[in-house]
Amino acid sequence: MEMNDNPSGEKKVQCSDESKCLELLESILDGELQDSGKEILKEKLAKCQPCFEHYHLEQAIRDVLKTKCTKHAVPTELADCIRQKIQDIK
Amino acid sequence: MSEVQRRIYSQEEKNAIFDGEFMPHIDSMYNFGYRLTFDEDDAKDLVQDTYLKAYRFINSFEQGTNAKAWLFRILKNSFINEYRKKSKQPTKVDYQEVETYYNSDDVHYQSTSDLRAESVKDMLGDEISNALNSLAVDFRTVIILCDLEGFTYEEMAKILDIPIGTVRSRLHRARNLLKEKLQGYAQNMGYNTDEEEEEA
Ligand SMILES: [Zn+2]
Repeated sequence: MEMNDNPSGEKKVQCSDESKCLELLESILDGELQDSGKEILKEKLAKCQPCFEHYHLEQAIRDVLKTKCTKHAVPTELADCIRQKIQDIK
Repeated sequence: MSEVQRRIYSQEEKNAIFDGEFMPHIDSMYNFGYRLTFDEDDAKDLVQDTYLKAYRFINSFEQGTNAKAWLFRILKNSFINEYRKKSKQPTKVDYQEVETYYNSDDVHYQSTSDLRAESVKDMLGDEISNALNSLAVDFRTVIILCDLEGFTYEEMAKILDIPIGTVRSRLHRARNLLKEKLQGYAQNMGYNTDEEEEEA
């Protein structure tokens, strides 16, 4: 049984349309819906526990990818080397 | 994005575009090249190649438009057309192959993971990088473009020459594969994943 209109504001433990919800959440996290996304998101997260958990997992993954992935320093000579080659073909 | 020549720039304009709009992206370009090839020299070659092409075709670049996306598209094409051909290493999965295996854009979105946000947050940079690097190149690429470089779906569609629907579905699959890898690490490290029973 879903508790769609639960007056106590308890969250649904099962998502009624998981596929659609997840697609929407992922688009919002990727910045594709901008302002309209924020409203939809607030509503979803307040009502639906699976969506809530999925959202936080997806957000954590995006955060760690963005902040923790190893970055490689550009070899110092590369830019000069490119400029030199451009000079040669000018 | 098109190869159509829009106008002819003067030498001064060319220099200004090259220095002002192209060169500032060398860092991202090098990292993209490195993450595609896992090799410093190959990454350097790809980047250099890309900049030489960018200069040669500078008249088809519209000043003030998204130079980073334009450059990424050139690098991606160089990687597919040249690097992969001469590369001795067989690529794990081919673009064509990926599209054949996963031929539909309308994925059924599923939450496939017991992984928890908390254990993801605790993971080390090396674990995240290794998980990403273990993905087939097409899946790795969409995650790099979206999460590491911040491109929009529309920009990614242009860079990869695929429809936006395919961008969205490929990203979804890529992240699910990534989650599987991360979950493997999480279990090895004894992080808390709320599994009832492990799925093989
Ligand atoms: Zn839901």
